[in-house]
Amino acid sequence: MTWTRRKFGALAGAAGIAAIGVREAKSTTNARVVVVGGGIGGATVAKYLAASGASLEVTLVEPNQRYTTCFFSNYYLAGLRSLESLTHNYETLAQRYGIKIVHEPATAIDPVAKTVTLTSGAKLEYDRAVIAPGIAFKFGTIEGYDQVATQIMPHAWNGGPQTKLLRAQLESMEDGGLFVISAPPDPFRCPPGPYERACLVAYYFKQFKPRAKILILDAKDTFFEQDLFQDAWNRHYPGMIEWLPGQFTGGVKSVDLKNRTIRTKDETFSAGVANIIPPQIAGEFAQKSGLADQSGWCPVDPVTFESKLQPGIHVVGDAISGGDMPKSAFATNSQAKVCAFAIAAVLTGSAQAEPHLFNTCFTILSPDDAVSDAISFEAGAGAIKMKDIFISRVGESDDLRRQVAHAANGWYTAFTHDVFG
Amino acid sequence: MIPNGCRMASFRGLGRLMALSIVASVVALVAHSGRAADTQRGAQLAAICASCHRLDGHDKGIPSIVRLDKNELVAIMAAFKSGERSSQIMHAVALTLSDNDIATLADYLATLPKETKPR
Repeated sequence: MTWTRRKFGALAGAAGIAAIGVREAKSTTNARVVVVGGGIGGATVAKYLAASGASLEVTLVEPNQRYTTCFFSNYYLAGLRSLESLTHNYETLAQRYGIKIVHEPATAIDPVAKTVTLTSGAKLEYDRAVIAPGIAFKFGTIEGYDQVATQIMPHAWNGGPQTKLLRAQLESMEDGGLFVISAPPDPFRCPPGPYERACLVAYYFKQFKPRAKILILDAKDTFFEQDLFQDAWNRHYPGMIEWLPGQFTGGVKSVDLKNRTIRTKDETFSAGVANIIPPQIAGEFAQKSGLADQSGWCPVDPVTFESKLQPGIHVVGDAISGGDMPKSAFATNSQAKVCAFAIAAVLTGSAQAEPHLFNTCFTILSPDDAVSDAISFEAGAGAIKMKDIFISRVGESDDLRRQVAHAANGWYTAFTHDVFG
Repeated sequence: MIPNGCRMASFRGLGRLMALSIVASVVALVAHSGRAADTQRGAQLAAICASCHRLDGHDKGIPSIVRLDKNELVAIMAAFKSGERSSQIMHAVALTLSDNDIATLADYLATLPKETKPR
């Protein structure tokens, strides 16, 4: 479907979406943007481009019909939310915003011919492309942990089948069993995630398997919001959660799938359930498209999110070398909007907006006790730098924490509406 | 017969009228493009809010911010910025916006329609 002023006007009136100045694309035909990856980054870019008022043809390439968020999946592990409530589709993006959705994997991108190739062999031509591939796992860094091993010891660091598998394992674990979380080295998706997972699984254990224990084997010596988590572990789940820093154990070295054991340098742990969250790099499509550098992540211009390695291709989300910006859904959404405005400006010859980069994470310590952080960033000198940071503090009132927990659930509804609705 | 001087005068008058109308058109055009630029900037600023606040007016845990009185929204944001009104997240957001940004945003949000049907 081709975007027109008339349709845009009607939509802007109906939905209150961004009524950004309408200009014609430079060429006689509409400029084309192909977005590869229908997660938070890809869906946000596609929606904001389509709503930009510029006459653009926006195509979103995503093999799956539905997307299950990884954020808030710890609620599901605790039995507090259904997986269905975390699952979204692309119908509104197609019907309301006129985005062409192609449910087929992309196999390659040609930055010279400016085409994206699909599995069927079909090629999509673009004037600008956006790649939002999320993360991939560095299999092989933990001996014995490969793609097959994820079916025995799930990482559950992508939403969907992996989350479901981990929940099923936790449900069938015997009371008194040990749940081991292997926490990855920096940088990784969702810095508070492994520790929030410990909280919410402990909440589940407390009710149904009160003798069960949780052990976090960390590759790091410190972690984000450490004081808030350790305070919460003591208050809500005393004696249930043990955290061992990398300096004590050297992190997880190998796994034995048959015996369900996990080895560090000096010790072997027998796990009732093992959750191995491996070290991470940018998603596979970025790796094979020459968008990632030696670090495994994609260097980008922080004002436009255009790749520093492949001109005309933009990258947003967890896959980028984000400087001070964490790999989170909120940060991705923020980057995606900046990227969409930058692409619309380039394709219509209008002025570039000043980038606004921000992150907020809600972290659930127990159903009525949540904390948050709010961080602003500035995009200067080729890198994203932190500007102001505000984080919840130990000792806040129960009432405030309850309000934050309530806001967290409201945020999920509004945020996923911003991306998919 | 119209005296020559009068004709000249009316031509001069027409000329002035044309000049004035050209000026008026340019002013209108500038005003229009100024409004369009404000709307565009307002929409981009509203995109910041949309990460937490639904812009269709629905309110589920996070307050609606559409169709508020412009001055009310400006005052609320000023209170968040100064810390007079407490919210860690809103304080952080308010610090990233200039007074001009907040005024543009308030104008824009005040114009958005509020949906009545749940979605």
